[in-house]
Amino acid sequence: MLRLIAGRLAGALFSIFGASIVSFAVLRIAPGDPTRLFLGDFASEEALTQLRQDLGLGDPIYVQYVDYMRDFLRGDWGFAYSVGQPVTTQLESRLPATIELGLYAFIFAFVGALVLALLATYRHRPLVDGSVRAVSFFGLGTPPFWFSFIAQIVFFERLSVLPGPDGRLSLATVPPPTLTHLYTVDALLAGQLGTFADAVSHLFLPAVTLGLAPLAFLVRLLRANLLEVSREPFIVVARSKGLGRWTAFSRHALPNAFLPTLTAGGLLLGQLLAGSVLVEKVFNWPGVGALVTDGILRQDFAVVQAFILLSAFVYVLVNLVVDMLYGVIDPRVRVRRNLT
Amino acid sequence: MSDASAGDAARGSVVTGIWRRVSGASRFVLHDPALAAATVLLGLLVLCAIIGPLVWRQDPLGIDVGGALQPPSTAHPMGTDGNGRDLFARFNEGARISLAVGAAVVLSGVLVGGLIGLAAGVLHRMVDSFLMRVLDAILAFPPLILAMAVTVGFGVGLRSAALGTMLTTVPYYARLLRSDVMRIRVLPHVESAVALGASPKRIVLRHILPHAAPTMLIQSAAVFGYSILTLAALGFVGLGAQIPTPEWGAMITDGLQYSLTGQWWIAVFPGLGVLFAVVAANILADRARDILDPRGELSRV
Repeated sequence: MLRLIAGRLAGALFSIFGASIVSFAVLRIAPGDPTRLFLGDFASEEALTQLRQDLGLGDPIYVQYVDYMRDFLRGDWGFAYSVGQPVTTQLESRLPATIELGLYAFIFAFVGALVLALLATYRHRPLVDGSVRAVSFFGLGTPPFWFSFIAQIVFFERLSVLPGPDGRLSLATVPPPTLTHLYTVDALLAGQLGTFADAVSHLFLPAVTLGLAPLAFLVRLLRANLLEVSREPFIVVARSKGLGRWTAFSRHALPNAFLPTLTAGGLLLGQLLAGSVLVEKVFNWPGVGALVTDGILRQDFAVVQAFILLSAFVYVLVNLVVDMLYGVIDPRVRVRRNLT
Repeated sequence: MSDASAGDAARGSVVTGIWRRVSGASRFVLHDPALAAATVLLGLLVLCAIIGPLVWRQDPLGIDVGGALQPPSTAHPMGTDGNGRDLFARFNEGARISLAVGAAVVLSGVLVGGLIGLAAGVLHRMVDSFLMRVLDAILAFPPLILAMAVTVGFGVGLRSAALGTMLTTVPYYARLLRSDVMRIRVLPHVESAVALGASPKRIVLRHILPHAAPTMLIQSAAVFGYSILTLAALGFVGLGAQIPTPEWGAMITDGLQYSLTGQWWIAVFPGLGVLFAVVAANILADRARDILDPRGELSRV
């Protein structure tokens, strides 16, 4: 077990090291003079040279890499000139919005996938199964930014049952007292039901849009696993000893079908991270994804750079945790790894 | 039916032989509604891409300020955008871009990823572990984020977007082929080829690669859909094709500003294009997997 953990840790460290080199290289080959972007078109030549020296752009490439990584690890992730603030300040203020959105999107995807997969496999009904599969195909193929456009037209512009793209709360609503930075939780804790309802109605469309692809992905995975498991001998035994279909499913089939979905944790996180970049802008959601989209449009690559490296860190970390959890939960994995 | 086709072959009637193939294939396709729908959709999109510009002779870039923001009509089947450009012509051009670039991504991905996977599977273990570590570094990024990073690095545009998308597919191809090669290289027919003194080149080309082809084919169909979606996403955030190129993702961005004023048609049609192309590619991949890969539903990437 220790060897497994050590091996995985070493692998993860190597991945992060490689990822940092890749993102650093990307920053270096990016065309354009960063000093020009910082100081604008009318800066004098002396000022440009001065800044170039301050930024260490004349140093050999490996010195620049070491400097850059040292700054990154110390928490200095550069200056976002498009908003006139350090990148970290921006990320700090925007992260809660993204986390809240991602959280609800994940809950939607997970619960939805569970229900759909159960519907598809519980009894053999080709029509239900076919519809569930169709949903998963369309969920995987729908561009999220396009889906959010359709959703806004239908639910805001035509039916006006849900708020339009005005961020996390309506203009008239005062944010709840800050505790967790998640508006829904804070509003509930403060007992402000009106604010809570407003936050939920603002979350609904973005969360569904963001959760659509993970939902489809999870449905496919869970459905295939449930089908596989429900054919196993121990389910036949459970049923023939008199357990009801529901008990056999919930007690015996589901836990076993869940295990393989755990490995998808990293992929799901990747989908949510990428999705936040695509969805937030459309809903004017004041999160990290919208910051990145703006950074791209204004060529403020310090922001993009920090986001890319940060995503890689989180992604590797989650995959590592998932891998270890898998070893803890499923003894077969432990044994197989030790044998090889 | 097999008797009849054998008879045809004996008579050497090429035309009937081909006809039997086609009718057999179409019967197979028609038997499965989802597969039939996917084939029709993809066929329609290909038609739009190839024949569309010949039949619908409007300039996808021609600006007509007087005819801006017109809803779909017989003169403009998909309406016009804010600059009065005909959206049907732009849709067809977008189909051409998406399908062509998607195919280019698949081809280059197979080539680069396949070569890496083959090298890792056939050459020395040192080479193998080195290549796998490099792939791990690439896999440390969520796919779309890596594609974004590469596109930023090589300069915004359709070409770098395609390059970035291709790079994200390489690890999957490489790992797939590597594990397949490792499985195949110990099969009896390969060992007997080695014993007979066949050259390494012949063994790889005749005895290993043909057996790995089905899995790569399935993967390619899925990658085709993935790359169309990713290209549209890159175009949407402004990293892909630039204005006024009628790329589907960029067209959706253009249409977003009209979401609250009622001009729904600008973004709806290119989005449908992406949706249909991706769904069709995924269904084809799924069916190909059912037919070619007996290991079942769980062996997908």
